[in-house]
Amino acid sequence: MKNIFIIFFISVFFAPVSGQIKPGETLVFAASYEISGLMTNIAQVTMQTENISTSKNTFLHLSLQAETFAKWDSFFKVRDLYESYVNPANLKPSMYKRNVLEGNYTKTEKYIFNPDGKTVNSTSRRYNRAEVKKTFNKSIESMDVVTLGYKLRSVDFSKLKPGQSVSYTIVFDEKEYPVSLKLMGKEVVSAGNLGKKECYKLSISAKTNKLKGKDNNLIWLSTDKKIPCKIKFSIPVGVGQLTLSKATGI
Amino acid sequence: MRKLFIILSIIFAVLGIIFTILPMGNIALFPVGIAVLFSVLAVIYSKNNNKKVPKLILIASSVLFLSVIGKEVFIKDKVAYDQQFNEKKQESKQEAQKELEGLDELQ
Repeated sequence: MKNIFIIFFISVFFAPVSGQIKPGETLVFAASYEISGLMTNIAQVTMQTENISTSKNTFLHLSLQAETFAKWDSFFKVRDLYESYVNPANLKPSMYKRNVLEGNYTKTEKYIFNPDGKTVNSTSRRYNRAEVKKTFNKSIESMDVVTLGYKLRSVDFSKLKPGQSVSYTIVFDEKEYPVSLKLMGKEVVSAGNLGKKECYKLSISAKTNKLKGKDNNLIWLSTDKKIPCKIKFSIPVGVGQLTLSKATGI
Repeated sequence: MRKLFIILSIIFAVLGIIFTILPMGNIALFPVGIAVLFSVLAVIYSKNNNKKVPKLILIASSVLFLSVIGKEVFIKDKVAYDQQFNEKKQESKQEAQKELEGLDELQ
């Protein structure tokens, strides 16, 4: 399940500064997984945005939560929460949090992005083991996966020709992962309450053994607002997809 | 051959019932579909006066097949209300807000 969300994050994320992300936006996806050759709905993934104010600043809270459908809870319960707190003007992350419950596996992570832009203070805990604190280096432009997902919207894919790609770096599991997205072309896909949408079809690749095959990990982003409408993934334990079922506040 | 088809159709029909009860979604179509297939073969291989049992299995497995499809089409997947998870989200947000206040002080 973890791999699914890595791919989801990777797929949903990238690029330069954006002013398009509004608070109050909600995207709901149905996650399905191939079991015995058939796609079976297993979970709901929800992405939300809202403003959070401190005494001095206002942050944009970007969150992604994954929950298995009730019928699966007694077999393999998933309750994942990924959050990022970013500057609403430039989407620069200040904090990233991850709270994972997948069957018996639990993991919590918190990254504080230091103002120097080069280091991250991380606190993590797996299962009930002792908390691990460390500081690791990162490149200036790399960011957490949730933030990257929203920045993707500001990429002008119309300037890319099929076969051309864009590269970025994400921070995940206390490591940096180079990620690239290759434009495959345009396709019309079903996007829940948004109806049929023309989308950019992009192939995701990353320097990790978590993605399988060439051009097997795909994302369809609507050409108008770069909303992820469909994602297909292929990982060592199988294949699956996420399909947009509801989008509000966009 | 008739007996073999009857036994196989019963086995797959039972598996189909189990898969239909469990949250296996359309995977249940596999055993149920095989049960339908074997019960059809059992009917074909039965003599005219001996088709009652395979016909009954065929009807049962066909009903099961339709119920699996109906279940998939008409019953919407729902996420259960999880108070613990909702509290966790709220706590996480409150904790983050405090941390962000601390970061404000540093900047």
